[in-house]
This record gives sequence, C-alpha cells and structure tokens, in this order.
Amino acid sequence: MTNPTHDYYARSHHDHDHAHDHDHDDHKVPNPANEHDNGPPGEYEIMSRAMQELLEQKGLITAEQVAKRMEQFDEEFPYRGAQIVARAWTDPAYKQRLLDDGRAACAEAGVMLEAERLIAVENTPAVHNVIVCTLCSCYPRSLLGMPPTWYKSRNYRSRVVFEPRTVLREFGTVLPDSVTVRVHDSNADMRYLVVPMRPAGTDGWSIERLAGLISRDMLVGVTVPKLPA
Amino acid sequence: MSDTTKLPSDIGGEHAGPVDTLDHGMRHWERQANAFRSVVQMTKLTCTDELRRAAEELGSRYKDMEYFEITTSAMRTVLLEKGVFTEQELQAKMAEVRARFNVPDEMESPVKKGASMVQK
Repeated sequence: MTNPTHDYYARSHHDHDHAHDHDHDDHKVPNPANEHDNGPPGEYEIMSRAMQELLEQKGLITAEQVAKRMEQFDEEFPYRGAQIVARAWTDPAYKQRLLDDGRAACAEAGVMLEAERLIAVENTPAVHNVIVCTLCSCYPRSLLGMPPTWYKSRNYRSRVVFEPRTVLREFGTVLPDSVTVRVHDSNADMRYLVVPMRPAGTDGWSIERLAGLISRDMLVGVTVPKLPA
Repeated sequence: MSDTTKLPSDIGGEHAGPVDTLDHGMRHWERQANAFRSVVQMTKLTCTDELRRAAEELGSRYKDMEYFEITTSAMRTVLLEKGVFTEQELQAKMAEVRARFNVPDEMESPVKKGASMVQK
C-alpha cells in the first residue's frame, strides 16, 4: 500500500518549503486527471475519475477546482492547527477564546472550518484528551490536513474508546495512572482539536518556533510535545 | 431497523488488533477522490450526511472495502439517485477512462483486490 513516490507527507513538506519561495499565482497547477499511481488502476480509481470528468462536462465543477483543492490539502491545511495552538500557547486570551468557541477563534485566524462546531480540549497535568471518529473519519481537515491512515483504521476506531491507555502506549505515549484520559468521539457537525500542554523551558519562544514542536499526532492526542533532547 | 441492529460502520468498542501507527500516506488516486468529493460538496450537489447514508448501505461489503473505495462508491450512489448522470453515462465514461489507461477489459484486467464493481 505504501508508495514512496506518492508519500503524502513527504510530498507536502517539500511543496510547503517550496511554496514560500514563489508567487503562488504563477504556479502551474497540474491537472490531477493527467497524473496516476504506479501499476494498473483499480475500478474505483476509474470510477472516481469518470465521475469527475462527467461533472466537468456538465459544467458543475472544473478540473482547476479539484487541482486547487488537492494543493490546499497538501500545502495549507496540514500546517494550520500547529499555528493556532502555538498562538494559544503565547496568548492566554486567545487560548480562552479558542476553548470557548473553536470555530470563531479559527475564523479570527483566517481559517474557515467546514463543520458546525470545533471543540478545542485542553490537556492539563490532570487530564489528557484523545480524539477519534468511531463511525468514519470526521477530523478537522482544515486544521490538520487529511487524517493519517491509522485514524481511519478499524483497530484505532474500535479500541481507543475502551482501552485508550493501551492504544496510546502503541504510539509510545505512557501516561501516569493519576491522569484522567478523555476520549472524544467526533461527528460530521462537531470536530475536536487537542490543545497540548506547552513544554517547560520554552519561555520567550516565538509562535513559529513553538509551532515547530507541534505535530499532527499531538493535536489528535496520541502523543505529547517534548523539547528535543 | 431494530435497536440492536448495528450499522457496518459502528465499530467503536469492538475488539481489534494493535494499531499500525505509521501513516501510509495517500496514493494519487485517493488524493483525487478526496479533492473531488470536497469540491462536489462545495457545490452543494450533495452533503456529508447523504454520502454517509450511502456508505452505510453498503452493508456486509463495507468491511472489505478500502476507505476511498467506500467514499467513491457512496458518491456514485448519490449522484445516480439525484440524476446528475445516468448509469449508462457513467459506464461509457468509465470505459473511456479505462481505455486511456490501456487496461484491456474489466474482467481480464489485473485490477487490485476489492475492485469488483458495486451494482445496485
């Protein structure tokens, strides 16, 4: 299943660095219908392309819209969550607004969310939060990009709700027994974002530097931020 | 539907194996399918709830299908129901796309697992 030439995150990081050096307007957007994976296409790949082309012919969508959306999922969306959390770490009033109304706080930062509600849940020394969508894969895509493979997997969705500490250990995260673990089950209208604890020893750090400590997995709650050793 | 009937997607609380914590990324076609779905939803031709209902109706086929196979199948169901295109139009376009890939025939092609067509 892994295709190194199409590794999503490898590609997105490359493009992200690249994007800062160039004016986006004269970026040549590749037409997704002209690219393909190695090996023969599956029936669903053919079906998906055929549906896109039919809708283009009927004037309902354009190839440029789809190409643009692919680019956003690669280059923009995966990096927004870390920026928002790093800002919350440096600005207590903003953090409070984020916890009070996640959607409004994201809008304030220029991020429009697709779901009705965003509920930001804060980790503390006493409480650790984890996010799942047991029914499918609801996820704050505008903040974190596409969910990783494991978030959509049967094993994660089935188990994290009843044995979260065991699942977290599989991610290398061991929580003291004294910490309460809360698991939040997302749905289409209600998405969650974990606000991790800011690591000690980061006083005076800029938002950019703090954001560099924050990974997607931390914002889902399966790992916690640490200072590099 | 009785209260005790669980939908195929309702798996929270079931026993299952260890989590593969590596992100395997997305294949190109999955990125296309994802962006396509996102754009279609922006046009208001359909919405998450309609697509979820179509996915849940896959029943016993659900567990053997990959994530974007499920979403693509659901998109097909909803767009056919709404008359956005007909089954004949879709079949003709799929034949055109298949020919572009130079795949000889649906039945003979070395397509990936779980790639059998979903017929209503």
